[in-house]
Amino acid sequence: MNCSTNNPAARRYMWRFSVTMLLYVLFLVLAVWAFVHYHPTGPLAWLLAVLPALAIIGQIAAFALYLNEEKDEFQVAIGVKSMLWGIGGTLALTVTWGFLENFLNLRHMDLIWIYPIFCAQSGIAYGLLQLRYK
Amino acid sequence: MKNRLRVLRAEREWSQADLAQRLEVSRQSVNAIETGKFDPSLPLAFKLARLFETTIEEIFSNEG
Repeated sequence: MNCSTNNPAARRYMWRFSVTMLLYVLFLVLAVWAFVHYHPTGPLAWLLAVLPALAIIGQIAAFALYLNEEKDEFQVAIGVKSMLWGIGGTLALTVTWGFLENFLNLRHMDLIWIYPIFCAQSGIAYGLLQLRYK
Repeated sequence: MKNRLRVLRAEREWSQADLAQRLEVSRQSVNAIETGKFDPSLPLAFKLARLFETTIEEIFSNEG
């Protein structure tokens, strides 16, 4: 996504991304605070535990909306390509780590790291693709 | 896919940014199409043909 232009789809994406990121931080702080101080149980505990994930799902939806709204097909192609690199890289890394965990008793990787790993790899791929097509 | 975008642009003294503005895409997109790194969709190819008042075949060729 080319954010340096006056592209309305990119601007809307940045706005949605910022809102979901802010919600993620707020929900995470709220969940940690509630579990540390009040030890919630039952449905409330479930709700608090999934709150940060809901913000992440919102972030994924924001990117899907961007791909749908973007009128510049080349920018869509770059977005999709970088996402595919991110998915492939994340699958490769996590399956490798999984086998290392099983056979060599490496430290267990929590599932919550999958999304940041995906974002990092997609971001790197996006940067490299931008350089290639500069 | 080869194309004559650079020539057609030069004939009209348009920069990549000028063409991008007319096509409602980014300058980067025009550059990628012009250098053959990205093949445009049929609707975008038709838009280019209309803009240059010619046919798609006059702009793009399947050589190379």
